[in-house]
Amino acid sequence: MQIVIIGSGVAGVSFAEKYRALSADDDITLVTWEDDGYYSRPLLSRGFTKTDIEQTIILKPFDKLRENNINVLCGAEVTAINRAGKSIALNGSWSHRFPTDCDTSAIPSSRQEKTLQYDKLILAQGSSAFIPPPFRPYEKLFFCLNSLVDLKALRKFRQGFLSQNRHPDWAIVGGGLIGCEVASDLAAAGDKVTLFHAMDRLMERQLAAEDSALLLKVLQDSGVKVLLNQAVQGFIKEENKVCVRTEVTAEFDGLIVACGFKPRTELAELAGLEIGRGIKVNQYLQTSDESIYALGDVAELPNGKLYAFILPIRNQALWLAEFLAGQKQDSWTPPVFTTKAKVHGFEAVHPYNV
Amino acid sequence: MPDYKKYQCGVCGHIYDEAEGDPDTGIAPGTLWEDIPDEWRCPECGAEKSEYDLMA
Ligand SMILES: Cc1cc2nc3c(=O)[nH]c(=O)nc-3n(C[C@H](O)[C@H](O)[C@H](O)COP(=O)(O)OP(=O)(O)OC[C@H]3O[C@@H](n4cnc5c(N)ncnc54)[C@H](O)[C@@H]3O)c2cc1C
Ligand SMILES: [Zn+2]
Repeated sequence: MQIVIIGSGVAGVSFAEKYRALSADDDITLVTWEDDGYYSRPLLSRGFTKTDIEQTIILKPFDKLRENNINVLCGAEVTAINRAGKSIALNGSWSHRFPTDCDTSAIPSSRQEKTLQYDKLILAQGSSAFIPPPFRPYEKLFFCLNSLVDLKALRKFRQGFLSQNRHPDWAIVGGGLIGCEVASDLAAAGDKVTLFHAMDRLMERQLAAEDSALLLKVLQDSGVKVLLNQAVQGFIKEENKVCVRTEVTAEFDGLIVACGFKPRTELAELAGLEIGRGIKVNQYLQTSDESIYALGDVAELPNGKLYAFILPIRNQALWLAEFLAGQKQDSWTPPVFTTKAKVHGFEAVHPYNV
Repeated sequence: MPDYKKYQCGVCGHIYDEAEGDPDTGIAPGTLWEDIPDEWRCPECGAEKSEYDLMA
């Protein structure tokens, strides 16, 4: 059997390794546009206080997976799912081995196109940063922190200031989990940070009001300037600065938009799978096509929930591998889990709402 | 019978149970938290040992 997985995050990699351990005979191919290996996304928000982060964030190089007989095609973007022909189309500049039954129509450049057949397709495509519509025209003016590529770009930009012996002055738009974590880490690394939040308290979705107040105090004590109830209208480029427009206009060296995440549902939608906020799956993580499964940040369960945290995603991945290997019959049930904002010096008093 | 404790990773929620150890990363069952090398990292998210808290 040909198992094809799209995505090299915790969902795709955990599934691939577990399935390999349970089934020696099937072919497993994992396709990803990443090049750096399998890395820990939660550690992105510690990306400024840790100098060796670009190395230590890698949990497993792709060669480690290949040694384990998992065929990894990296630097390859999946561009279409062809359900009728049970294949996917890829485009990229990979250099690694292919399964022999893969149809190669080389084009004259380092970029190549291929199609890859599957018996079972696993969608583990994760999520990108959500950009509110009013900010979309300004995409060149701001950073996000959603992937290792984003972190590297941010670190490089920041290094430009440090090498001139100054710390950049940042604006962060969004006072949710990631916005607060990044604000905290940049402040701890010595930068000047202003955090804009639309609501009247921080992390209002996960925290009790009392904990939001505590978080506000911890961030302020660490030097972050927190502005609540801010309706950010857009951004303006001014020579070396970028301005944030609210009722007033303030200028900064760098800008980070952290307004939540968006499951990568586009390919599944084009292929005609059922989509809600994520790709809809049943209690067996099966999409509306019986040969296609989805898990991780991209999957929406029948209760309407997305389980976008490491612990439940690992649990889904291990369960799905056992299920497809014929070792489990019962459907997936979410494990008990909690989370914790990685804000330096902050401990919530009440449980988080996840 | 020693009184084994559990520790939880504050980044991803992974639980280290001293009774079970973590054989996949070379930590034998029964290994006490303080005996785990400082370079050891959370097997699920790569966070450092200092990110773990003792569970009540
Ligand atoms: C800054 C930050 C901090 C976080 N902190 C925590 C935390 O403390 N605790 C916690 O539990 N969770 C945390 N999370 C959430 C957690 O990281 C995610 O829920 C988890 O990483 C999602 O894993 P995934 O495998 O579903 O998706 P992803 O990690 O997004 O992986 C998806 C992969 O799919 C691939 N892909 C997608 N589409 C294509 C395509 N068309 N072609 C090729 N490849 C494709 C990409 O290579 C990508 O690597 C955090 C997230 C962020 C961004
Ligand atoms: Zn962890």
